[in-house]
Amino acid sequence: MSSADNARASQAATPALSLRARGISRRFGARVALHPLDMELSAGGALAVLGPNGAGKSTLLRLLAGLMRPTSGVIEIGDGGGLNRVARRAAIGLVGHESFNYRALTLRENLELAARLHGLADVRARAGQSLAKLGLAGFAERRVADLSHGLQRRLAIARALLHEPRLLLLDEPTSGLDPRAAARLGEHLRERATTTGAACVLVTHDLNFAAALSQQALVLVRGHACALPEAALADAATLAQACSAAVARLEAAA
Amino acid sequence: MNVLRAVLWKDLLIEWRSRERSVAMLVFALLVVVILYLAAPPADTPEARAALPGMLWVAYIFAAVLGLNRAFALELDEDALTGLALAPADRGFIFLGKTLASFVLLLGVQAVTALAFGLAFGVNFAPVALPFAGVAALGALGICVVGTFCSAMAIRTRYREAMLPLLMLPLLLPILLGAVRATDALLNGEALPGLALQLLLVSDGVFTIVCYLGFDAVLDE
Repeated sequence: MSSADNARASQAATPALSLRARGISRRFGARVALHPLDMELSAGGALAVLGPNGAGKSTLLRLLAGLMRPTSGVIEIGDGGGLNRVARRAAIGLVGHESFNYRALTLRENLELAARLHGLADVRARAGQSLAKLGLAGFAERRVADLSHGLQRRLAIARALLHEPRLLLLDEPTSGLDPRAAARLGEHLRERATTTGAACVLVTHDLNFAAALSQQALVLVRGHACALPEAALADAATLAQACSAAVARLEAAA
Repeated sequence: MNVLRAVLWKDLLIEWRSRERSVAMLVFALLVVVILYLAAPPADTPEARAALPGMLWVAYIFAAVLGLNRAFALELDEDALTGLALAPADRGFIFLGKTLASFVLLLGVQAVTALAFGLAFGVNFAPVALPFAGVAALGALGICVVGTFCSAMAIRTRYREAMLPLLMLPLLLPILLGAVRATDALLNGEALPGLALQLLLVSDGVFTIVCYLGFDAVLDE
């Protein structure tokens, strides 16, 4: 059995997935990008990570994705000691700052490549379904280089959702999306959380999106974290107030 | 193996569309042959003939450095390297896929360069075509294995274009030594020297295993 088969078998055995991080930190040389941080997210939950630019939000996502190793601390994804690195990558869907796609390939070719990398069966059908879901079917044979930023963003989301991940790590997913596409994405994520128990860590400056989707929120400033109370997620205005207060507190303390 | 095939298919498809690496490698290799021809015109002396295998491999290695420098550069656009690193498989297969894609390109460049070199310096490769192809392929494999690994290491550094030859060329010494000795024997009508062949095979094997195993750490940020 290949490692991808193992990863899929493990995914089938545990349909929902929780995330726990204990004391994770990350340094780049002398610079501390993330101070020790604890976080917990249960299956089907959504955690919004908020904060100004350069706060360490993207570093946190890349640590959770297993793209970089923490300087200290432990990340467990899944129950019973957590998944190994390969199984973790099978369970994760990441939308980063950039699309991870190849500009010389068409949208269909990019998604077929991603499907092959994930060892999925019937790659052509999977790519077609994923394109249709994100409203990209009409652009399937166009090269990525010919697309607008918004369409490239949608393709990045299609790629992250292609293998039906149980943990979504989204870095500014609504950046460049028109309001209708952003609303569709929100609906899709909610539906996935309900039907499959997929959890989501969402890094965003879009407080409407964060408040509509999340049950927990974390504010990061210069690598220091502070959890917001659940009541702060009542609506975007309340979240904005709570977030500003937390940023001020963390800046004063840092 | 899915990942290996996917990466190989992707690299060759992108190259087929752009022809960016193959054309650059080929033009550079042919230019080296022309420069060598002008600098040391063919002469029927033992000294001149002894220098030919080394000159041929100089053209090959320069072309390879150029191509391998671009092997991971295309992964920087849109941070495609992260997309590869997220594949739920042994990352060594990503390394093997990228190595094989570079190997295919280098083989093509080697074949055309050998023809041009033969014409320029009056070398007849025809009687030793098969063993020479084997030696060239073993040399190319070693160059691509080491070059792909070093290219991945250099890609996130500030001076990546300068870093690759600095990292790669010292490691290639045993491969180049074996390849040049074997080519020299073939061009002189001698049997393939066992020691040179062993050096090539062992170097290729050791570098392939070490680079395959180490690639996971190279992709970690």
